[in-house]
Amino acid sequence: MFRRFAISCFVALLTLPAAARTRPHYGGTLHVEIEGDPWQRPNGIARRLVFDGLTTLDTTGAVQSALASGWESDNADHRWQFRLRPGVYFHDGSLLTSTAVVQSLNLDCPANCPWATVHAVGSMVVFTNDSPMPNLPALLAGDDFLIALTVSADGKTSSGDIGTGPFQVTSFNNGLLVLGANETCWQGRPFADAIEIRVHRAVHDQWLDLSIGRAEMVEVPAEMIRQAQQQRLKVLVSPPAELLALEISDNGALANPMMRAAIAASIDRSALSNVIFQKQGEVTASLLPQSLTGFSFLFPVDRDLNKAHELRGGLTTPTLTLSVDGDGAMRLAAQRIALNLKEAGFNAQEGSDGGAQHADLMLRLIPLEGGEPFAVLEDVSRSVGQTVLLPDSSPTSLYRAERDFLDRHTLIPLVDLPRAYAAGARVRDLALDAHDLPDLASASLEDAP
Amino acid sequence: MKAMKLIRWAAMGLSVLMGVRSSVAATSPWEQPAAAMAEKIAGILGPGQAHLSIRNLSRISNEDVPAIRKLLEEDLKMHGVTVSDDESANSIRVTLSENTRARLWVAEVAEGSVTQAALVQLAPEGEQPAQTAGGLKLRAETILTSREPVLAALETANGLVVLEPEQILFETRGPAGWHEQSRASIGQKRPLPRDPKGILMPDGGAGFEAWLAGTQCKGSFEPAPSPGQWTVSCYASDDPWPLPQFENATPVKAFFNGARNYFTGVVTPNDGADPPHFYAAGWIARAGGGAAMVIGSIDGKVLMIENGALKPIAGTRDWGSDFAVIHSGCGTGTQIIASSSGEAAADSLRAYEFPALEAIPVSAPLELLGTIMVLWPAPDGKTVLAAVRGAANRYEVDRVSALCN
Repeated sequence: MFRRFAISCFVALLTLPAAARTRPHYGGTLHVEIEGDPWQRPNGIARRLVFDGLTTLDTTGAVQSALASGWESDNADHRWQFRLRPGVYFHDGSLLTSTAVVQSLNLDCPANCPWATVHAVGSMVVFTNDSPMPNLPALLAGDDFLIALTVSADGKTSSGDIGTGPFQVTSFNNGLLVLGANETCWQGRPFADAIEIRVHRAVHDQWLDLSIGRAEMVEVPAEMIRQAQQQRLKVLVSPPAELLALEISDNGALANPMMRAAIAASIDRSALSNVIFQKQGEVTASLLPQSLTGFSFLFPVDRDLNKAHELRGGLTTPTLTLSVDGDGAMRLAAQRIALNLKEAGFNAQEGSDGGAQHADLMLRLIPLEGGEPFAVLEDVSRSVGQTVLLPDSSPTSLYRAERDFLDRHTLIPLVDLPRAYAAGARVRDLALDAHDLPDLASASLEDAP
Repeated sequence: MKAMKLIRWAAMGLSVLMGVRSSVAATSPWEQPAAAMAEKIAGILGPGQAHLSIRNLSRISNEDVPAIRKLLEEDLKMHGVTVSDDESANSIRVTLSENTRARLWVAEVAEGSVTQAALVQLAPEGEQPAQTAGGLKLRAETILTSREPVLAALETANGLVVLEPEQILFETRGPAGWHEQSRASIGQKRPLPRDPKGILMPDGGAGFEAWLAGTQCKGSFEPAPSPGQWTVSCYASDDPWPLPQFENATPVKAFFNGARNYFTGVVTPNDGADPPHFYAAGWIARAGGGAAMVIGSIDGKVLMIENGALKPIAGTRDWGSDFAVIHSGCGTGTQIIASSSGEAAADSLRAYEFPALEAIPVSAPLELLGTIMVLWPAPDGKTVLAAVRGAANRYEVDRVSALCN
């Protein structure tokens, strides 16, 4: 009852006429609540507040300079050198050096990196590889390669939460991460003095806190976007930010590609989108969303049970293990997929997360970061331990590379999902960045002093 | 394959000899992509008959689709592919699609049970023209577009000077508009605020002075050897910035908070008033003679400083943080052009006069194609320059003038 009343009050506040808009104000504390871990990889909400990458993406997804002020490639993209931006400091006051960048990258990426070697040469960071790396500047903008201080000035191992970003860690106690403004941030001081992130907070509790003014920004899972809009929350919804996909092992019972193709044909994507995700996703059979390529419709999304039976050819498999990376809607989606598979003659049983590495099938969310389709495709394929061949940057090459990848039937795209957040009335100029995360450093509070 | 090429060349030669092309194609922007698409389709299908269907998933007007279809049919015919309405074993489905960067035409070419795809990417769309509005008419003319944020711009006799956060650009006018002549690094010693602000002023001669947080620059122009050369020197400075001047009155300067995005309120000389922190300032002539300074404070109020007193101005609820004075010669002769408030996707500008302590709108809003970053008066005082951040983080500088009715 109280919750309804509180939400009603909030809705009423939203309908009040807005005061004159001025330039953003400095000061105040932004209160944020999340369900997960602020440091989780990828895209934990604190990561881009505290850390920067060598490059970043603008709102169109184009690569922009960040900790690197410029870069050049030679030897047909087999070697890249990135010049570090001068005068950038870590939060502990130590200067950003190429050695520190290399140490961070080596820690972040011990294996399966887009490069073979990375080393420091003066103020340059040099990457080399046996095969060309045409998309390296875009890939370095990804969450995997944010730069953290690994060794402090006195030679000790750093806590891992010191970066160069707009906010620095003040404390993390009792589920409350407090970040303070970095006064000397190379991008300029953020508008808010501090951000308090309350973690592991259930979504409904987050919404309640938003309604009574205890939080200025909360999460809205894709399957709850409609509900949030019906409650007239101020919701920011990203374009497709994550790909719900079924990863299929090509070992054991599913080594036969025909069996994997049969599984792909048996899944009812529309039901997943309409029922589980409340029509907030876009059904897809392509790795890259239509907005990035313009040709995702070339990959048919319709379920074809007859084709699935035909491809299976009467062969049976032992009971397949189906692992789920997540809970809530993800588990419901996995249960529906298991039903779909049963109708196609497969027996799938949901397993625990602990068995993910050995599961025959794994339902997971894959981030779709950035606006460079070639880099996104390379990133997605790398996330499942595969590679794609991109001879040039034409749409035809992109299509063929995606087609070749999908013809392996080791990753079945199902639904493109947005990310969404709800903001309180005090927050202004809050927008989602190119990584589909809230750009809290550029947001300010209406009533800041 | 050779036969196919012969057919193509013969068809193309015939077309050239006859000099015939439909009137639709003569000026159509779809001519080139249609030709490229047809060539790719023919490369898959070879000569013969096919059924053609077109669907439009892009922002192309549906009214353009018949013309595109006609072009495709003509081009396919040139390559030996005849479009037939009859059911055929071969079918071509062309989708007019697009992604966030470009238009894309996709053909799905089916021969029996085999379907292949052909893709043609089109050049990016052209930009939309600026809008104008009625009443005392405001008119905007885009004089520069940039991928980098523009803090200020100044038209001089020797070219256009553009202040960006990290460098100063010098542009010269060519037949196709302004183009870059040279650039100079500013070399700030400390980071700029997240909402950076800067100003450019003529130095009274052929040069300029620039201010941005913590830094001041002086630029001079050497005309020889032709085409001339700009020299810039920048140095750390916390000196007060000059505010727009009123006719021959004593110049007033104000201290800018280099770690924030506003003036501190400390002005020199000070006539006794104690202004709050403010974003913008300008001078307007008063009916009884003399002039008064108008400031836009950071709490959204607009105040007039007159005879050492601060007076609130009514009718400014719709104002944003930026305004500039314009001496249009219309109406009372002087107006303030103010940016709009609110949360609309694009900002607008509107002209106001001040018969008393109330801002009276004297023009319709002029919609701009993005968010106004800054407004400042041109040196002649007759126009206002606006830096606008448009879609896809594209910046433009618009010259805004007022037309008398």
